[in-house]
Amino acid sequence: MDNTRVSETSSSTLPVNKERENKWPTSSQLPQPTLLETLAVWTTGYRPDPVRELQEKSYYDYPALKAPVWSWEIIWYFFMGGLAGGCYVLATIASLFGAKEDRIVARVGYYASLLALLPCPPLLIKDLGQPKKFLNMMRVFKVKSPMSMGVWGLLTFSMFSALTAVIQAARDGLLGKWWGAKLLARLPQRALAVPGSIFAIFLSGYTGVLLAATSIAVWSRSRMLGALFVSSAFSTSTALISCILRIVGAPVKTLHKLERIEWVNMLIELVNLLAFLRITGRAARALVGTGPREKGPTFWSMMFGSGLVLPWLLQTWLLFKKQPVSPRKKKRGGLGLIVSLLVLLGGYFLRKTVVEAGHVSSADARTSLWNARR
Amino acid sequence: MLEQRGRESVSSIAQGVKQLPQLLTLLHKETPPPEEPALGFFTDTSLCIGCKACEIACKQWNQLPAATPDWSGTSYDNTQHLGATTWRHVQFIEQIERRIPAGTGQSAQQTSSTLPKLSLFQPMDSAEAIPATPPGTALPFFNSDRWLMHSDVCKHCANAPCQEACPTGAIIHTEYDTVYVQQDICNGCGYCVVACPFGVIARDTGGDGQAHKCTLCYDRLKDGMKPACAKACPTESIQFGEVQELKKNAQERLGLLQEHGVSEASLYGADDKILEGGLHSFFLLLDEPEVYNLPANPARPSNHVLPTSLGTIITALLMGLMSIFFFSNKE
Repeated sequence: MDNTRVSETSSSTLPVNKERENKWPTSSQLPQPTLLETLAVWTTGYRPDPVRELQEKSYYDYPALKAPVWSWEIIWYFFMGGLAGGCYVLATIASLFGAKEDRIVARVGYYASLLALLPCPPLLIKDLGQPKKFLNMMRVFKVKSPMSMGVWGLLTFSMFSALTAVIQAARDGLLGKWWGAKLLARLPQRALAVPGSIFAIFLSGYTGVLLAATSIAVWSRSRMLGALFVSSAFSTSTALISCILRIVGAPVKTLHKLERIEWVNMLIELVNLLAFLRITGRAARALVGTGPREKGPTFWSMMFGSGLVLPWLLQTWLLFKKQPVSPRKKKRGGLGLIVSLLVLLGGYFLRKTVVEAGHVSSADARTSLWNARR
Repeated sequence: MLEQRGRESVSSIAQGVKQLPQLLTLLHKETPPPEEPALGFFTDTSLCIGCKACEIACKQWNQLPAATPDWSGTSYDNTQHLGATTWRHVQFIEQIERRIPAGTGQSAQQTSSTLPKLSLFQPMDSAEAIPATPPGTALPFFNSDRWLMHSDVCKHCANAPCQEACPTGAIIHTEYDTVYVQQDICNGCGYCVVACPFGVIARDTGGDGQAHKCTLCYDRLKDGMKPACAKACPTESIQFGEVQELKKNAQERLGLLQEHGVSEASLYGADDKILEGGLHSFFLLLDEPEVYNLPANPARPSNHVLPTSLGTIITALLMGLMSIFFFSNKE
């Protein structure tokens, strides 16, 4: 009895159904794939097959999962949190391993880290359904819950970031010349920055882990989102620091080092992104597809194209173009500024498209159910 | 006058002092109530008649507001999904013409790509007009059309992803091993909403902004009563009791159904497979889980934390090392 049963949608024996079926597009009748569609198929390794997908069972296509409740606050938090953590790590590396002229990276990095961190707690609190109960986050310490760990990590990192920036300010003479400032300037900044960097890495990467530890197919399938977010955090913060340095002026040698770091970071981000798309496969359609609700157009143009591949190519060209380097010379502006701004834009759009793709993915019952058929 | 005011302030201070121990008790961690046997639901969809009494009883007992009327246009199910204020939801799955008449299945597959040459109205003597009787059925006018009705509810997972995700500790396992949201603690972060693999728990955006779902009528359990939906169910499709006993009943029911030829019947969540511990609110289904929008074998989100973190750490180390290399590089 069982073998005669077919799904509702494929019951094609009755004439009424047959007529209806022929209105569905078959693979051969589909319009010529666009460039973005071709890119989506290549990167995910999944060719959408509407005919087969329609035969998959679901309950009137009602979403099998609830849509995320997160929107712009979380997108900005992911972006700013990544910048705060990444700037701190880069500043620490510059102060520990850099030459004398690289100290400006540390100085700018620590300030930028604190400034990027400041809007984070208000954004997170505003995002809650009951903002006045935000202190309840500190009731428990739960290793299994990335959000609980994130709260504690953010709190710890805030203290490190604030202290390091205040020491930097005292050393730069921004706090005046009273005894308190002198005391602060004498505190061991480097010894603080090493444990601080561990929390900084945590802050820039945990947001990806948080999204991966859900049931939303596009976020969770590949287990790669943490790596992708941390690489984007590093490349955007390198871009932010070099952007600031190109505005205020910095030694050419330091800028050159930052350029090469940025080039490597973008390359690693690109590899992570491609691995993320390939492993996520069909579930990545919400992010890269060009369907009605899918985020492909924004993703390919704002994130992948102008936010990652274009700046990487520009950077490659800049690095190969030999410039006469005079070690004592300071430099402002230049094409590098545009590269940095593009990377920052790409980093923002990565968070935006990934979070919004989660909304699209949750509404796609067939893909959600396919993802759960292991 | 002045004296009186002084006396008042003294008494208010005294009152405050009297309240102090009471305030301190809030910090004291209460001992949890003693463990009770695990309680749960067994929802037998083969008995469901789609009366929606469970939906209404749940709303009434838990004082949940009525949903804004919405005409779904797909079936008698206008509720469409579980939500922050809908903790029981009856699905209406209409399976019309789901069986290919015996013997014609093969040819239908082959001709499906070509245009149909059949007219809408066929002569009565045509062999295809009336589906052939499947073997083993006694009824001459056997109809393969069916309505599947399914009263969906929170699964009260043994390893509940919402509970694992909750960063405030608002979601707990009660002494009855049911999953419960403590409303005084939940701050509406929304992480449980995306953690739940069944799309059950939801944030009440129009109301208090907190997460809500089935409580398995914890208040009724405390008074030794059945949950409202199980009490209201007229066909015993919703059975309430100790999970161990319910699972035994479910196996018996499944055996009985299969004995009577309902070979497609299966249990969902009654074994320990789903989410590595099974569900305390499980189902007897008459089709594949996907037909009911139920995930066949969902991943446990908390299992993603370690592998994802590992990838994050490797990437961060790689990028850090590259930065160290370029910064310490003396040209």
